[in-house]
Amino acid sequence: MNITINGTSRIVNAGPLTPLLHVLREELDVLSPKAGCQQGGCGTCTVLVNGEPRRSCLLPIAAVEGAEVRTVEGLASGGKLTPVQEAWIHHYAAQCGFCTSGFLMAATAYLEKGGSDDHAEIAAALGGHVCRCTGYVKIYDAVAAAARGESFDLATTAAGSRTTIRGVEL
Amino acid sequence: MKAVGARLPRYDATEHVTSGTRYVDDVRIPGTLWAKALRSPHDNAEILSIDTSKAEAMAGVHAVVTFKDVHKNVHGHIEGLGIPGDEPLLAETHVRYKGQPIAAVAADSEALAQRATEAIEVTYKVLPALFDVRKAFDADAPQAHHWGNWYPHFEGEMDRRQIRKGDIEQAFADADVIVQGTYRPAAIEHVPLETQVCQVVPEAGGRFVVYSATQAMYFSMGVVAAHLNWPLNKLKFVGGTTGGGFGGKVDTATETITTLLAIKSHRPVRWRWTRAEEFLFSSTRAAWHMEIADAVTKDGWILGRKMLTLHDAGAFARFSPYGVTKHAFHHTGAYTIPNLEFNGFVVYTNRTPSTAMRGFGVTSVSFATETHLERIAQTLGMDPLEVRMKNATRIGDTSPNGIPYTDPSTVPVMQALSGAVGIELPAHYRTMTSAIRSGEDLPGHLVAQLGNPEDH
Repeated sequence: MNITINGTSRIVNAGPLTPLLHVLREELDVLSPKAGCQQGGCGTCTVLVNGEPRRSCLLPIAAVEGAEVRTVEGLASGGKLTPVQEAWIHHYAAQCGFCTSGFLMAATAYLEKGGSDDHAEIAAALGGHVCRCTGYVKIYDAVAAAARGESFDLATTAAGSRTTIRGVEL
Repeated sequence: MKAVGARLPRYDATEHVTSGTRYVDDVRIPGTLWAKALRSPHDNAEILSIDTSKAEAMAGVHAVVTFKDVHKNVHGHIEGLGIPGDEPLLAETHVRYKGQPIAAVAADSEALAQRATEAIEVTYKVLPALFDVRKAFDADAPQAHHWGNWYPHFEGEMDRRQIRKGDIEQAFADADVIVQGTYRPAAIEHVPLETQVCQVVPEAGGRFVVYSATQAMYFSMGVVAAHLNWPLNKLKFVGGTTGGGFGGKVDTATETITTLLAIKSHRPVRWRWTRAEEFLFSSTRAAWHMEIADAVTKDGWILGRKMLTLHDAGAFARFSPYGVTKHAFHHTGAYTIPNLEFNGFVVYTNRTPSTAMRGFGVTSVSFATETHLERIAQTLGMDPLEVRMKNATRIGDTSPNGIPYTDPSTVPVMQALSGAVGIELPAHYRTMTSAIRSGEDLPGHLVAQLGNPEDH
């Protein structure tokens, strides 16, 4: 069976019902999708299949034969990060980093479809992705800034949108 | 100081967003076996027999370990702090919580390792289980632990962490009102997105490399070495990258058993818990039962506190005596109460053992104290902020265990927070500082407790 991963055709030997996550991690050494729950409940394994975010832990490889699969390994090119990757750094949207790959791919799909900086739309696009370090505000800030086409200074961290309450700096 | 106040980028942010960060499960060693554990299906049972022969005979199974393979099966995580060990690495004669590991297997695949654990035959005599700390002291309560239902080994072989300060009976005699409350925060699972995981790789020279997700590297190294009776230089720990821990990866959950399997199989072994294992069997924040009675004056001074804490340790002590000690030292919260009678028990139940989580031992008492202060304010018909500002710790006030505070922050924090939520404090509290008490801030009942911060 052939699957195209980040533009490269790969031959897969696993059986047709093997989850894509298992094939990526254990057979092809594509390690950005993580085995967080393997029940579709946490979003750490999200990859793009023909541009759509999918939970790779629930997706049998037979369902992606011939499809274009994209992971975090395929985002930066020639050492140049994508705007959403830069936004993640500048807005401090990663703490332990374990959820980051899944969030980045869901955010990438959202932005490639012209997603706006609207909070509710970002929330819907990232729904089902869990961050247990509870960095959601920073993640929303990063996606919204990327949606606005901002440029990012990677030598500093942005002020967060919730660092003041009623005008009082916290 | 270039860093304080500066908006520096994370040192590891670029690695995180490019998937350059290598978590334990991302380590790739050719020929690595998968580990699985056989876990107790019972909350409390005697083990009558363990037969691993069918699992050992399965093709593709390279090692099966039980208590017989462990040099020192019972080792306390913090024996160095005087907390004796009570928990077997692999159960021998008794299981005391559902999910307690009894045996472990290393096999060619995850599925095969799972099937092999299911081929291990264990017979049990099931016993009644204890789940409610309030029933632990009843004469007819099920026995949850071989030391009895509460930890008996605090210093001086006391069966509780105890604090006595000032004259509690006088405080209650002088009170206008006694305000009582009971507070019972539940157990909480940490739910790190990375489940418990490690990989252990034998080296040709006899050393073992342990890739660990632990939050406590050298501590975990000591625990593994103690169980094996090995010198530390036979272990090389590689860690520092953790996919969320929140206290739940302080316990040495996987490293020792995986090392045993690597020793016995002479192969690299990986043990990654499933999400179900993480939820059901990994340690949790403890459930707590706290009863508070405060002797209070009608103008809002807290003269004294009697408090009983029952900490639900689950089946084994682990760090619980340490957590209850911290809890005891903080049991008045951010406030000064000069007369105290505190009794804190580490109670055993047949629940999953509990451990550290974000503010170990202290968040429980913060919840209880802050809720109780609201109750006091409601009882007296006072502004809850005024009750807090009045009793807030100041320089020179002493903690429950008698240490003078040198830099308490209750007053400025309360002032900042009241501003943030748009509440205007009365003039006296707007200008109050943390300075040593005097004038109307130093009523007679707080004189004797004052210490000299310079003595600390």
